[in-house]
Amino acid sequence: MEKAGVISDYLDALASALSFDRSLSRRVRQEVEDHLWDVVAADQIGDREAERRAVANFGDPQVLAAQFAVVSLAKQTKRVGVALILVIACSFAAMKARVAWYAALQWALSEDIRPVGAVIGSIDRYSFRLSVIIGLGALAYIGSQRTPLAFDSGYRRQLRRSFYLCAATTAFLIVSVISDGTLTVLQMFGAELSAKTLLPIVSMAVEIACAGFLVFQIHGIAHRVRSTAALLKT
Amino acid sequence: MLKGHLDMIVLAALSAGPAHGYAVIEEIRRRSGQAFDLPEGTVYPALHRLEHAGLLASRWVTAESNRRRRVYALTRRGVRALAERRAVWQQFSEAIGDLLEGTRPWKKPA
Repeated sequence: MEKAGVISDYLDALASALSFDRSLSRRVRQEVEDHLWDVVAADQIGDREAERRAVANFGDPQVLAAQFAVVSLAKQTKRVGVALILVIACSFAAMKARVAWYAALQWALSEDIRPVGAVIGSIDRYSFRLSVIIGLGALAYIGSQRTPLAFDSGYRRQLRRSFYLCAATTAFLIVSVISDGTLTVLQMFGAELSAKTLLPIVSMAVEIACAGFLVFQIHGIAHRVRSTAALLKT
Repeated sequence: MLKGHLDMIVLAALSAGPAHGYAVIEEIRRRSGQAFDLPEGTVYPALHRLEHAGLLASRWVTAESNRRRRVYALTRRGVRALAERRAVWQQFSEAIGDLLEGTRPWKKPA
């Protein structure tokens, strides 16, 4: 069945080159398949030859995949920019809920560990503030960039800057979450697991999940950059 | 040269109304009097890029052939962007026209 094979082989090659972004890969495959069958239907030449021509006129799947990958990369970067701010807001809410809980229960740190708590509290505050400032900067920078035409040196530079800004935001947020975790451990030292300790534990879990989500998203950018660069090398 | 104006060409092709990729390519060929015979594959990444930029919106529809196809349409921002690009292009084209007016091919002195 060479007839069915020409187009499906081409679509397989294109979809496989875009496998790093499954939803894009599926969408491109469907769109291109529809296009190629339209071309075949409009061609006057015999079916097999029409399919070969349709595929040849459409272009090299690797080159096209690289062009789609650039758009996918721009989308992922923008998503991470928005995620940064949402995650920071979520962490802030979890932090505030915990502090309000301690205040409501008049649950303070014991005298002997209060100086250590003050130092860790300062690290927490400053690292969180830095993550907010750099995060807002990252969102503004990413939002101001135009969708690139190609994976050229200008776009690579732009991506590098976005990546560093996102990574710095996440790094400061992680320092803040670690500080919060340490403070929570100090606060709950000796306390038994009960309804009283539930909110601090849940709020810490939320903060850790938020930081983990950001790390995962940034890893996604790095993965797409590598995949796009690999497409251009082939 | 054509590549540098691909976005404007695609936006212009969609100014007549929503269309899928194949119809966009056909419209470009028709409206350019067959002068613009773009490599077909290059139009799709451009459609995706313009959608990401908010100049196009798209949705799936089922064609008569029962195949699913993605139909693109200009957004309000897309209409504005096309109008801006058209104005810039007309200015540029008039300036080049004025510049070339009256010029003759250069002849090497005997």
